[in-house]
Amino acid sequence: MLSGEKGFIVAKMMELIVKMCEAYGCEKLVRVNHVHVSGVSYVNIGDYGLEFIKDIHSYRPRASVYTTTNPVCVDLTGLSRILSNEFIDKQLVINKYFEEMGFQPTYSCIPYYFRKPSVNEHLAWGESSAVIYANSVFGARTNREGAPLTIASSITGYTYFAGMHMDENRVVKISLNVDRDVEPELYGALGYWIGENIHETPIIKGIVENYSSIKIMLASAAATGDFALVVIDKITPKGSYRVSDYLEKISVGFKDIEENVFRGREEGYVLGYIGCPHLDPLEFRTLVEKFSNRRVKRECGFLVSIPYPFLSIFRSEIDFLRKRGVDVVAGTCPIVSKLTVKPDLVLTNSGKAFFYFKNIHGLNVRIASFETIIDNVTEK
Amino acid sequence: MRRLLIEVKPVIAKPFTGSVLVIDRYISFYGEVDVENSVYKPLNIHIANKVLVFKGSRGSTVGSYVIYGLSKRGGAPIAMIVKNLDPVLVSGCVLTDIPLLVAQNYDDLIKNLSQSSTSGLKATYRGGSYVEIEEQ
Repeated sequence: MLSGEKGFIVAKMMELIVKMCEAYGCEKLVRVNHVHVSGVSYVNIGDYGLEFIKDIHSYRPRASVYTTTNPVCVDLTGLSRILSNEFIDKQLVINKYFEEMGFQPTYSCIPYYFRKPSVNEHLAWGESSAVIYANSVFGARTNREGAPLTIASSITGYTYFAGMHMDENRVVKISLNVDRDVEPELYGALGYWIGENIHETPIIKGIVENYSSIKIMLASAAATGDFALVVIDKITPKGSYRVSDYLEKISVGFKDIEENVFRGREEGYVLGYIGCPHLDPLEFRTLVEKFSNRRVKRECGFLVSIPYPFLSIFRSEIDFLRKRGVDVVAGTCPIVSKLTVKPDLVLTNSGKAFFYFKNIHGLNVRIASFETIIDNVTEK
Repeated sequence: MRRLLIEVKPVIAKPFTGSVLVIDRYISFYGEVDVENSVYKPLNIHIANKVLVFKGSRGSTVGSYVIYGLSKRGGAPIAMIVKNLDPVLVSGCVLTDIPLLVAQNYDDLIKNLSQSSTSGLKATYRGGSYVEIEEQ
């Protein structure tokens, strides 16, 4: 491939992977079965990223393996009143280029719901929350890749054998015990705390087997820390990690994480937000059931982000939620988009969303359980 | 300083020669670099067509695309000599064919350079493991 027999762009993309391999002192490349491309949102990559994608696309490359795509910067239903559609034209150009390259229009940060990775399978994924879920829940192997490298892996079908692909980098060094007073509904706050306070790969004990909550916890830990793997006792497949001879023991309880958790009631415009990472089908159905006898209060907002393919799967449910005042956005999220509103308070169950609302949007934000969010922004 | 040979590990080993610019910091290309004007904003300093000596990059992975944007506008550095590598730099430099070298003794290099007026220094790389730095 490097010598150009498959064309200039394949050779260039291969060179990128080989150079990355050399830079990290690794000795071989490895084939991947699934690539998840990050850097899809125009708000994130800007004109220079768009230029790059346009230039790559001009060589007419094709994905050589199954490739999914991260969220975009506009609501693909076109109906949101909370997320801006300012950059829709530029975003649709990016989408067109990627789709013509054979990438799947999932526009979602939960690619594992479209293709489930297997244990010890090599992947090349961007999007920190998806990477940590693949490594920690499925026992698959992927680094936190940058956007150009994911495109290169899709076109060539390879990545470099370093970091999380190697057994010696998947070693548990800390045992973290989670007290029973940390409810799964607050795993967003737990993940936020883990990312801020734990700096070696932990094995976490005491986690309840609730995959929606685990998804939120892992995304939050990956946002505040640089984790690509957090071993979860009884969930992470054995054989996908090793345990160090000496384990430092730490425990965490509600008192450690309560600092960012919402208490009481709030006046003014409260925006509830769930769907970071994107809602999975179970969370979505729970949400629909909750709204059987509720609607969003006139003075509040409720934003829910879902994968793009849900639009065709749950068409009538989405219409129902909209009629109840829920701002359902597809293929995007407020982390990679812009808000049109300036709420007095944002309530979210995600530590990742908490982190970005606070640091990028500069908003007053608290972590709350799904139930608490519903209680505060809806009425019967 | 008349002439200095510095040992490097080449990542993208393309020969070059040009004026040295030292920014002894980690640079976040996304946010800290004005692509249209090729300016490193915190110091308001032009980086176009310079041999940029710096610690490495930090921050958003979009930095690779910023390097790409600089190059397409003819405003990228001629070469980069760094203390530490990271994926943003490797991706950005591979995509643009900007020579990228890791200085084996970066701290000594900075000490030596700080004793001279860096504006008058020229760096030349002909391939291999050494870069030659001399007064212009």
